[in-house]
Amino acid sequence: MKRSPLVPFFTALIVAVMLFAALRFAHNHRAQGPANGQLIGTQAPDFELQTLDGKTMKLSDFRGKAVLLNFWATWCEPCKVEIPWFVELQKQYGAQGFQIVGVAMDEDSNEEVAKFAQKMSINYPIVLGKESVEQSYGGVGVLPVTFFVDRDGKLIAREFGLQSRSVFVDHINQAMSQGQPVQAPK
Amino acid sequence: MKMLVANALLLLSAWAWAQDDFGPKTPAVQMAPAPVVTAVQGKSATVPLSFRVLSGYHINSNHPKSEFLIPTVLKVEATTDIVIGKTTYPDGQDMTFPFDPDEPLNVYTGDFKVEVLVRPLLSVQVGKYVVRGTLKYQACDNSACYPPKQLPISFDVKIAKAPPPPRKNPAQSPHSHS
Repeated sequence: MKRSPLVPFFTALIVAVMLFAALRFAHNHRAQGPANGQLIGTQAPDFELQTLDGKTMKLSDFRGKAVLLNFWATWCEPCKVEIPWFVELQKQYGAQGFQIVGVAMDEDSNEEVAKFAQKMSINYPIVLGKESVEQSYGGVGVLPVTFFVDRDGKLIAREFGLQSRSVFVDHINQAMSQGQPVQAPK
Repeated sequence: MKMLVANALLLLSAWAWAQDDFGPKTPAVQMAPAPVVTAVQGKSATVPLSFRVLSGYHINSNHPKSEFLIPTVLKVEATTDIVIGKTTYPDGQDMTFPFDPDEPLNVYTGDFKVEVLVRPLLSVQVGKYVVRGTLKYQACDNSACYPPKQLPISFDVKIAKAPPPPRKNPAQSPHSHS
């Protein structure tokens, strides 16, 4: 039986379409990062990073509190817009067991970050970010990126780019309402 | 022929994917092929380098308004044969963005041109030389920013022979014509 001369053409076409679909699938998943739909609902990856005054801080130090984890940089203008909101939100919700932690992703010296933090009157701890931490949160390709952690240390939400203040407030309220608060020692 | 078509289809798929990969999701500045500039031995010449910021993105100008912002800077590698002179940047454009409508930033968008002055040494051999460097920039869109990047650049300089120095006329002695 003679094979149609079009068979190799259509085989190649099908292979090309499948290859294209597979590459697109892989690409889309890579672009969204492993955090998308995989990190949310799981324990927030713990880290140990240096604060601006040289101390070591772990995320797990805040277990029992709701945490807003903000990846930012001094060169990021949208990040600069959020910071005054965070300063207010820390004041507003701090007493209810809420903590903001800023992770500075600057490549420059921490003096620049400290100078910026002072200029912006930041009232919450800033730690100096590392690539390994960034990767554990799914690879932070853009800034700002903000994660919300409930009182049990579980990641409940993530926001890419500048959001409205009300989005933060909603996530903060949700984070504070979930998990067990740490009991004050008697 | 059939194999050619099959290969073309596979290449087309890879190309389509690659286009998307480096498309709008990946902010980038692209450099247009630089023209070959001819410079005469010992004389300066200006090399115009054309760049394009992809639509929807902006990068800081060479003189951003805040000390914390990362300026766009062209770094050209030193060569032994050609002296790299002044780099001239265009003025940025004052623009506001949705993330902060009250504070204008000085940025480059779309096409912009950077000029580099080059001066081949007088002793350099005639021929074509490749000069390399990087354009450091930091891009943002309307709601987020991307880490600083370094775009490799290169351009060719064709060195032409310097014209011979004007001959000095020897002192003339009086001639008598008969």
